[in-house]
Amino acid sequence: MSSSSSSSLPPCPKKMITLKSSDGETFQIEETAALQSKTLENMIDENCASTPIPLRSINGKILAKVVEFCNKHAEVGVDAESLHAWDAEFVNVEYTTLFDYILAANFLEIPTLLDLASGVVGDMIKGKTPDEIRKMFNINDAFSPEEEEEVRRANQWAFE
Amino acid sequence: MLLFFVSCFSFILISRSMSCKPLLPMPMRNQLTLSSPFSWGQFSSFLMSFFHRIKLNQFLMMKPLKKMTTGPSQVLQVQDFPGEEKFSLLDLPELTLDCILERLSPAGLCSMAEVCSSMREKCRSDHLWEKHMKQKWNRLIGDAATREWQCQLASRKRPSLCGLDRRNGFKKDMLFRVWPFTWMRPNLECGGNKPISDFPVDSIMGLYLSLENGKFWFPAQVYNRENGHSGFMLSCYDAHVSYDSQTDTFQARYSSPGRRTVEENIPWDRLRAPPISTPPHELHNSDCLNDLRPGDHIEIQWRKSKEFPYGWWYGVVGHLESCDGNEDRCRCHYSDDVMLEFSQYPADSRWRRTVIDRKEHKEADTGGNGFYGGIRKLYTKEEISTWKRLQPSHVME
Repeated sequence: MSSSSSSSLPPCPKKMITLKSSDGETFQIEETAALQSKTLENMIDENCASTPIPLRSINGKILAKVVEFCNKHAEVGVDAESLHAWDAEFVNVEYTTLFDYILAANFLEIPTLLDLASGVVGDMIKGKTPDEIRKMFNINDAFSPEEEEEVRRANQWAFE
Repeated sequence: MLLFFVSCFSFILISRSMSCKPLLPMPMRNQLTLSSPFSWGQFSSFLMSFFHRIKLNQFLMMKPLKKMTTGPSQVLQVQDFPGEEKFSLLDLPELTLDCILERLSPAGLCSMAEVCSSMREKCRSDHLWEKHMKQKWNRLIGDAATREWQCQLASRKRPSLCGLDRRNGFKKDMLFRVWPFTWMRPNLECGGNKPISDFPVDSIMGLYLSLENGKFWFPAQVYNRENGHSGFMLSCYDAHVSYDSQTDTFQARYSSPGRRTVEENIPWDRLRAPPISTPPHELHNSDCLNDLRPGDHIEIQWRKSKEFPYGWWYGVVGHLESCDGNEDRCRCHYSDDVMLEFSQYPADSRWRRTVIDRKEHKEADTGGNGFYGGIRKLYTKEEISTWKRLQPSHVME
């Protein structure tokens, strides 16, 4: 009996770490999945991951998605095609959410997520006019005083 | 944070003034040093960690506070409330913005450059264009094109270039440190009024766009010139070429005495960057003669007469007439004579074969057959397979 129960258990219990979002939500993530984040990896290496890790720049909703992403990408035996489809669905969100993914991926240093999300933003820019890009990403400062100064100076030199 | 920085700065000043006070009596100075809470080493490491934290804090503060005011469940669903601004692309930290820009095509970068002043600055930076330059132009823009670029620049004086040199922070030596293209400058017709969307001189972006819009005519060699003209089959001639992005082909200008030939619609695979630096009118110094043996692939310079530029002709080292071609008995590579074969011509053609002297090969009139010049042996599979691809399907008359 004891031998069968021990054989049904994994040889080594899964190590979990706890992440705490800016709004106080906590999330459990397996250490193996968390290792995709270089920031978390460093904390694990330095034995700073035994208590909940506060992530003050990431809120609960985004952190939940990031944990989901890391878990999916740590899954064993997922073929590239289905992972690709899963990724496409994952980033099929409003651009502000994409930016949040990018910020979180940058902070946690998760290159796969950073690549994925910035790639989508790059795709959104494809084929757009400057005006469309301004509207799409809420860019209001088309001209700055510095730029006007630069153009003025350039012209001044040109006439010298 | 500013306050902290200011206090930090004053701390540096105080510490400096302490260490620079020679008038203090020695014991006093020791005392001061000892009583100081940090050593310099500690202090600098503290500063390092402080700046590191600033970076993190900046990051943490990137999120506009407004987001937090919409309530915890709504934190990310930024709504278009009146008077409330949405998160902008420009709010992203530098590194992440770079990640996005790195994914843009040249056209995307150009559009982005016109979005606003900060994007304009970022989207022109060499590191974003280097990849595109390498991807599309690395094969054709070699040393020869680079030299041409310099020559064109040296022969022109462009006002905006002078202006750029004078701009604060513009350092020429910085440009020279980066890989080849950086020091090249585009051939721009710079007018007096520079529109905002104009691309900068002294940048890879400038070179890239000059190539794309066909304004930069650069030296390259054209295989099977003049659209497969039988007189040029399996040869490669120097020309100045310009790109047409509409058709994704090139236009070439060949220089020959008496006539200037232009050829259009040349596809990419009929062009190459000159593999060696020998100019078209100079005899190439053959350094491979002792190394030639039957079966080797070569290119040999040939010209009709001394007024013409050389073209490079593909050939194979064959067996001498005295040899039956049997590998075991072949002594061809010990002979001073080297047989060169040009298989595009019929066996009885006067162009089919020529014999050169391994020891004393020099350019000589072959009696109506033009002048054979220097030889280069082809070592790479890539070069050999390119010639094989160009081989005509039937022997020419």
